[in-house]
Amino acid sequence: MWLWYDWRAAAIADDHGSILDDEQWDGFHDQRTIVERLECIAAGGLTPEAMLLLERFPEAKPRVHGEPDLPDADWPLPDEEAQEAADQAAIAMATMGVAQAAGDPDRRLEHLMRASDEMRSTFITMEARLVEWVGLFLPEARFGQDRSSLGKTVSQAESLEHLSQTLGVSLPPVGPDKPEWKALKEWGQSVSVFRGQLDRLENGIRHLSEQHLPSLSALLGPLLAARLCVEAHGRMRLARLPAGTVQVLGAEKAFFNHLKTGAPPPKHGHIFMHPWISRSPRWVRGKISRTVAAKASIAAKIDAFEGEPWGEEEMRELEQKVEDIREAYPSPPSRRG
Amino acid sequence: MGRYNNRRRTMLSWAVMKDGRALWTMNAVPKRAVYGESLRSFSGTEFRRWDPSRSKLGAAIMRTRRDPSWLLPEEGTDVLYLGAGHGTSISHLHDHLCGQHNDLKGRLVAVDLAPRCLRELTHMAKSRPGLVPVLGDARKHAAWGVLLPRKVDWLFQDVAQAGQVDIFIAACRRFLNRDGTGLLSLKAASERWTGEGEEALFDAVEYKLATSGFEVEERIELTGYEDNHVLFAVRKME
Repeated sequence: MWLWYDWRAAAIADDHGSILDDEQWDGFHDQRTIVERLECIAAGGLTPEAMLLLERFPEAKPRVHGEPDLPDADWPLPDEEAQEAADQAAIAMATMGVAQAAGDPDRRLEHLMRASDEMRSTFITMEARLVEWVGLFLPEARFGQDRSSLGKTVSQAESLEHLSQTLGVSLPPVGPDKPEWKALKEWGQSVSVFRGQLDRLENGIRHLSEQHLPSLSALLGPLLAARLCVEAHGRMRLARLPAGTVQVLGAEKAFFNHLKTGAPPPKHGHIFMHPWISRSPRWVRGKISRTVAAKASIAAKIDAFEGEPWGEEEMRELEQKVEDIREAYPSPPSRRG
Repeated sequence: MGRYNNRRRTMLSWAVMKDGRALWTMNAVPKRAVYGESLRSFSGTEFRRWDPSRSKLGAAIMRTRRDPSWLLPEEGTDVLYLGAGHGTSISHLHDHLCGQHNDLKGRLVAVDLAPRCLRELTHMAKSRPGLVPVLGDARKHAAWGVLLPRKVDWLFQDVAQAGQVDIFIAACRRFLNRDGTGLLSLKAASERWTGEGEEALFDAVEYKLATSGFEVEERIELTGYEDNHVLFAVRKME
């Protein structure tokens, strides 16, 4: 005996396909209820009609419409009006699903990350040009350390003369004419605007990353955590990656070169950005990045499955481990082996 | 005027026209283009240009060696489309299947996994009644199977995930009528590389379809429009 059901009806049939009983629901003018029912079926649940019939025929095997082992029978299929209502509910569900995707932190983080990468590369080019440009007119000016405020200084200067006074250098005999100076000044304005924008982008990343990846952010810092998450195409995927993959994430070129030609495998990918690795001596970097990646992989799993997040304490523990590795190998291995 | 040659124009269905090397469908939403395609009037009726290099169904219609109209479903029926993408093919299929205001009473259930794609489709569904977009996995029939109360006579699948053939076979078993037409657009790069080349891969798929209760009516190479793709047109036998 079979219990057939769809979103608006249920029926009992025997093995020969003759209908013994049915229940139908006609409240389908309410779209919200249809959506609830469709979701319930998608999750493998029973509709109220199906439950009612199951009480009457406890031995019937419940099957949702279309399942292959159901016998052929004259099931009470929806009429045109009911189908139209279901179609509208389906459209509403699709719209809702799309809207929910907008809240997906993985996608938001990806946009922030890519935007900040693009902004940074533009900013660096523009800043370098500004330095060269100003240096052309004021050859005496030196901005080794103090590049950061140059954009602001240029944009605030009234003229090249004014700028030379601010920078404390002498004015050469030839300078830019008026429109040229204006262009240079505006270039400086853009540089300082871009710097501010870049800071705000990074702030955005930090903020989101600390919510979305609390443990990983505590362990590696929010920016690196966000980078790993984006490169892995999402938090859940990052959590499912083995630690060895997390270690070389971002070093794909070297890694596949290793697989192809047998060149030495990369020791670290994006994780190299972390000072524990980039500030350590060359010969322990591989060991440290292995340790860090293993912990990072655990932290990513905690974040993805929303466990008790890690904090300062775990970070200190790992730092201690890193320190131990450094102390255990104070000098480079001898070349002879 | 005298240079017009009407003999190269053929109607493949009431709404689909082949004009030399171009395809056109009668626009179900007049004056509105869906993805920036050109609109043009032929004897007073507006048509939208169907770009075969952006639609595998369109490419297959251009490439098939048989009468191309057999690749299209009968108008006014229910059809299932898995892997809807951005709705290029869907919009033209809708022109053919439903017509203006869905006068033909067709239903086009379009399933896709990506919210980005569904965004376009839900938009399109507002102006094109009969189009039912579903955000879901083509493999998880339970989530949207109830939207198809009856089996369909025409099923199209274009999903770029591994195991495309198994997804197709499972979907046809559940949703396609006996004698119904199934179209499977296969992307070689989505399948596991066996190391024996693309042809071997396509041969293996053809064999698998033939032994799973389908008759492979035609294997249409889409090269030129969509490289490394083949469209299998099958008939369900059991």
